[in-house]
Amino acid sequence: MTNLPAQNSDLDLRVRLGRLELANPILVASGTFGYAREMEHLVDLRSLGAVIPKTVTAEPRCGNPPWRTVETASGLLNSIGLDNDGIEAFVAHHLPYLRETGTRVIVSIAGRNPEEYVQLAARLESAGGVDGLELNVSCPNVAGGIDFGTDPDQCGKLVAAVRRACSLPLLAKLTPNVTRIAVVAQAAAQGGADAVSVINTLLGMAVDWRRRRPVLGNVLGGLSGPAIKPVALRCVYQVAQAVAVPVVGIGGIATIDDVLEFLVAGASAVQIGTANYYDPTVSQRLVAALPAALAEAGVRRVVDLVGTLNTDN
Amino acid sequence: MSNPLHAAHYADSARQCRVAIAENVQVARDTYRVRLHCEEIAGRILPGQFVMVRLSGCNDPLLGRPLAVYDVVPDAAGHALDLIYHVKGRFTTRLARCERGQPLDLWGPLGNGFPVLPCTHLVMVAGGVGQTPFLTLAKEHLGRQQFGAPPRSVVPVPRVTLCFGAQSHEFMAGIADFEAQGVDVRLATEDGSAGQRGLVTELLEQILAAAPSTGSATALRVVCCGPEAMMRTAAQIAARYQVPCLVSLETPMACGIGICFTCVAKIRQKSGWDYKRTCVEGPVFDARDVCW
Repeated sequence: MTNLPAQNSDLDLRVRLGRLELANPILVASGTFGYAREMEHLVDLRSLGAVIPKTVTAEPRCGNPPWRTVETASGLLNSIGLDNDGIEAFVAHHLPYLRETGTRVIVSIAGRNPEEYVQLAARLESAGGVDGLELNVSCPNVAGGIDFGTDPDQCGKLVAAVRRACSLPLLAKLTPNVTRIAVVAQAAAQGGADAVSVINTLLGMAVDWRRRRPVLGNVLGGLSGPAIKPVALRCVYQVAQAVAVPVVGIGGIATIDDVLEFLVAGASAVQIGTANYYDPTVSQRLVAALPAALAEAGVRRVVDLVGTLNTDN
Repeated sequence: MSNPLHAAHYADSARQCRVAIAENVQVARDTYRVRLHCEEIAGRILPGQFVMVRLSGCNDPLLGRPLAVYDVVPDAAGHALDLIYHVKGRFTTRLARCERGQPLDLWGPLGNGFPVLPCTHLVMVAGGVGQTPFLTLAKEHLGRQQFGAPPRSVVPVPRVTLCFGAQSHEFMAGIADFEAQGVDVRLATEDGSAGQRGLVTELLEQILAAAPSTGSATALRVVCCGPEAMMRTAAQIAARYQVPCLVSLETPMACGIGICFTCVAKIRQKSGWDYKRTCVEGPVFDARDVCW
């Protein structure tokens, strides 16, 4: 790779996730950015590659009892339980706001069965103003949610069913809580996913030994934050080797170095998750930091970095 | 705001800042006050609002912690922010060891804070470090200082009482600060080392029992901050005397800005209850709306 000095005006931050083109590779992860309205005065929403609001389900869900999160070493365990007001309230009240933000909107959906995913996808496509869907087949905090993400056959069939019912670009968000994530990713790609989002949280728990009680109200939770970044990088690398569709990297990303590590490992874009909680303006600062990072890497286009990892000895 | 799903108090006036500690001093046993020169937040914060505080560049502890504003004091650039914290976990243990100059990340002001409380006698009930949000509230309602931008106007209240309870006198921070403002301070300690031996809620009961007929809805107002059991009891006592009561909930928080859905409390709705985010719907709630 030659070290060409890059001019900002020449820079091309655009990335493509299948049929979905984004202005830049910095997205915010579902469940870590509310419904975007919460962040309106902290982050310039238009600067982001896309916003992925909190997962929506067919029916309203009140979520799990507190405690819902607990901090662990450089990480966060959560068991929110898909607290949301249901698809009709989302379409009526959150979607109109999201459409007006001027940024790409990818809606995260979760169903209890394939029929519900199909219904949610069809409803969102007919509602309009949605740029893509992310199928949350990997939430560890609701019964059934994780099953579609752990069984390649079920995952592939689910993606295919949604694909048939809806023409929106589809991302499948995968769980790392499997032996071979690449096999699940291949199934999602064969089912028609435009891209795969890698990874959702790692299943974990915290114990209060003095009270002989689990810390989380739901006993188990999903681990996120800098603690899981090496696992996420490994998963992105393995999946990128195994599938032709773009990979969206997620897991502990908080700095511009993190972003470039994921791109080099094979991610076409990244999602900022837990870092939004402890550094609310981080997403827009990462977008702003991209040009200098590309210059340092000696490339003018983000896509020229994707998957450039050299593993030769 | 017409959207029924939008919370009432998003972080619309919040700023994220990196500021150096100006002062970090012990004010009682296991209790410290940290001073930060941050006009952007101090110049706009209202009594009962909070800020999220984090050690800059540190991933363990990772998350910010919510700290209520204790005081807003004049400084060269306008106003400094005083926060009080009780050392009990990994973050506060680290913070207590920080010296002047250590950078902190903060974002705020956050939450609803207390509304203006027109009344003839404002009774503030605090347990542990629950007195923290009440110094600014007392100053404002005694006409000593205005807060917010533009400054919020309050018709001075003739009498403000702080009922302050703790395990022992040595844990009680800021008594002199309240007395200096003209607050009637009454203490209760579990070990009898200061004030009345017993619970702070007994002080509240005595005040309400001694008050002239509380038939007038605006005569007395109760505000409460501290351990949940104490707030629940205070809310029950206030309800028995038909005195309006606000509580400032201290649910664990991860983000403070409404995006993580950690800090939910069961809040009464037209039918049944719903989990509401304390950070953007509270932390101050009408005690009658909380499902204890």
